[in-house]
Amino acid sequence: MANQQIFLLALLWVVFWGAIGSLFTPRIYSRKDLDISRATLGGALVGAALGPIGLIPLWIYTPRFTNRIYAAASIIVLGILILAFARAYPDNLCVSDGGFVASQVTNGIVIGLIYSLMALGLTLIYSILGIVSFAHGEFYMVGGMVVYFMSASTLFGRAGAWVWLLGAAVVTFVIGAIFEILFLRPMGEGKIERPKEYAILVTFGLSFFLQYLVQGLAGANPVKAPRFFDFPVIELPNAEDPYLIKTTAGNLRLFDAVSIPNTRFVSAMISVLLLFALLFFLYRTWTGRGLRAVSEDRQAASVAGINPYRMNTLAFALGGMLAGLSGATLVQVFTWLPQVGIPAAARSFVIIVLGGMGSLPGAFVGGIIVGLVEALGAGCVPDPARAAAYIPAYGMIILTLTLLLKPTGLFGREL
Amino acid sequence: MSSSKSMRWLITVLVLMLALVISACGAPAAQETVGDAPAAEEAPADAAASSDAAAEEAPAEATEAPAEEASGDAAAAEGDVIKIGALAPLSAPGTVVGGEAMVDAMRIAADEINANGGLLGRPVELVIEDSEGLPERGTAAMEKLINQDQVVAVGGGYHSSVGVAAKEVAHDNGIPVVFAETWNDTITSAMYPEIFRIAPLNSEVTAVDLNWLTSLPYEIGNVVILTENTDYGIPAAQETAAGLEAAGIASETFQTDIGTQDFSAIIDRIRAQNPDFILVLNTGEAGFNFQQQAAEQGIGPQDVPMLCNQDGLESNAYWTNVPDGNLCFLRRVGLPVELYNDVAKSFVERYVELTGKTTAESYALEAYDSIMIIAQAIEEAGSTDPAAIIDALENISYEGALGTITFPVNSKNTPEQAGMDPKWWHQFPDPAITIVQYQEEGQDSLDAPVVFPEIYQTGDLVWVTAE
Repeated sequence: MANQQIFLLALLWVVFWGAIGSLFTPRIYSRKDLDISRATLGGALVGAALGPIGLIPLWIYTPRFTNRIYAAASIIVLGILILAFARAYPDNLCVSDGGFVASQVTNGIVIGLIYSLMALGLTLIYSILGIVSFAHGEFYMVGGMVVYFMSASTLFGRAGAWVWLLGAAVVTFVIGAIFEILFLRPMGEGKIERPKEYAILVTFGLSFFLQYLVQGLAGANPVKAPRFFDFPVIELPNAEDPYLIKTTAGNLRLFDAVSIPNTRFVSAMISVLLLFALLFFLYRTWTGRGLRAVSEDRQAASVAGINPYRMNTLAFALGGMLAGLSGATLVQVFTWLPQVGIPAAARSFVIIVLGGMGSLPGAFVGGIIVGLVEALGAGCVPDPARAAAYIPAYGMIILTLTLLLKPTGLFGREL
Repeated sequence: MSSSKSMRWLITVLVLMLALVISACGAPAAQETVGDAPAAEEAPADAAASSDAAAEEAPAEATEAPAEEASGDAAAAEGDVIKIGALAPLSAPGTVVGGEAMVDAMRIAADEINANGGLLGRPVELVIEDSEGLPERGTAAMEKLINQDQVVAVGGGYHSSVGVAAKEVAHDNGIPVVFAETWNDTITSAMYPEIFRIAPLNSEVTAVDLNWLTSLPYEIGNVVILTENTDYGIPAAQETAAGLEAAGIASETFQTDIGTQDFSAIIDRIRAQNPDFILVLNTGEAGFNFQQQAAEQGIGPQDVPMLCNQDGLESNAYWTNVPDGNLCFLRRVGLPVELYNDVAKSFVERYVELTGKTTAESYALEAYDSIMIIAQAIEEAGSTDPAAIIDALENISYEGALGTITFPVNSKNTPEQAGMDPKWWHQFPDPAITIVQYQEEGQDSLDAPVVFPEIYQTGDLVWVTAE
């Protein structure tokens, strides 16, 4: 029991000095007419890492907060928490079993890659149209449903996963494009009096419409698509332990420690492929460059001959399609329902706030961080009665900390 | 510009047309009614034409009076409709497979009542409300049924959390409720005059689990309980853990939210426990998600003996969502199929015809009985006055699909007088509980052998040994 109090004390220490640092550092920097945009997070990290030993010299010398200071302070904070946790819970699997930790980290990264794909769609829409789509979760749901129904149909059942994914991409892209032309273009054309409120309401409307449309058409029963591909069964280097890699049709095990289910692995690999395809599209094609140009400066882009309305339509459709493809890969992992997009959309909001609204690298890194935090939280929180029940809370803690300490997010444009 | 405008209009018109077509032929919305006025007007004619057949099919006691009226007076089912509420989870995070099955069953009950001339010479209207499996939604649904729809009684109910919360609304308004599938003990132990239950008590189900586990000839030293943090899951897990401890079996409980999707981290933790048995108390799609993900991570029902949640009895949904779920054990409420009475056989026949399934699940039988028992109570009370219906329910002996249902512990024989725990208040004492096991991939739950208790046993269990 005494050991557990060590972790609690360490946590209190970090939170207390972090709060002191985040509250007073911006005031001191402001009094000295220095840049305060990085002072809240910098002060919080230095305070949490070193307490008064770090804060007093910081307030005296008021150095510029570089990424190096951020990184060093973050590592110290993590180190303090990990050491205190290890001391407090020596029997916890996250302390005593390296294979378990490796497994959690791998699963966190794997699921994080898929989260990233969905969040990229949301951030793309925000960066071009300047709105947050509240129907993003429903595109995710529709993508999964399309794959399920294609896989269960006699016409497309044998066509294979790539055709099903293509079907999901086409359907979600078309829904996005039609919706943008009908309901969002008037906003872009300046015909709507209060465009921000309008965008929230109209995307909420689309969210309900799609949810109940699918429920009306397909019912509300849970469904699931079959595995896209089976692993070849292998054991390397041989059947004797310890082996390097061992696969069955549905699972992959590395070093007899890390276990990755086939469905998650395949989904993550498809997501990586799609991420590269998106990067190629945005950075190597004229249309992609046009999209980026509009996100940088809408007026300058239109002077250069880029039709911003067409780019709006493309961005919304593409964003919806990315969410749809994310769902399309995950319908083989999770049971699928018309309401499945609600928590996924909430998670995407957390990711893009963490990464920085409108930032593509931010969405990618944010997705992996959220995936890791969820996996390690559910795996390491000592009380098994709470570890998994708190999964939605982990995202909300990240959201709260980001909004408190760095509202622009990790890669957001500085205010 | 003009061409883009006309294009926009064209697309708008097409979308609206599509929406109209879909809404015209789509599945039911969250709230709907069955057997309302037009259908009820047709009912007497149908009843007159097929009254003999209907009377033969229907349970003798339950439909005696309406059958007489139906055959004697074709205009019997006229006048104000009698509204009966039907509560079921029809959208996530509720257990939709269970909710839809219950709604189908309750529709059959309402149609049967109307086909036999209605109640007290008046047609019956079933008002269906979606509880979404959430207590706050269940409370709102019960409020709406009572205060807006003016129902005289309510049947159905699946999730315990909904039952625990919604019973307060029924109690405040004095409206009788016959809960069909809510197991939490406190629903009846609160001893509200309005609340009746034909589902088993959570504690009794737990006792069956414990009897089974401790009677097995295998070495079980370590059990993992996975549960949802609801009014069903938490007490069930606590009672099971206490019972296991008393039997000298160690256990560890893992809790999740009701709609949890991703179990990978929890599965790794469970694997580290090296369990001899896994008990899954998560309902609906969360249970499906866990069972399939556990199978993919090497601790599924084919690797470690696992008692899955009873939603697995929905064979189609189960095998779609848990394709690697063979050898799961499942609890089934009600008598084994071989021992079905005439009412159950007749109901299953109509249920199979309506749904295209191969059989009816236990919660469908319970939902059917919950409406039919209310109907009989209204007939016996001779009135739709809630107090009269409650009095009739206390004295009822209803021959239903689950057997002969009575509520022997009531205001005339209180738990104190009967020397029983308050949980038996207005509680049907005899819902049979069996344990079946899927033993072939894609097997229908109807064909899954009963492995416990011995008196109902139809096959030997297959016991896998954990690595």
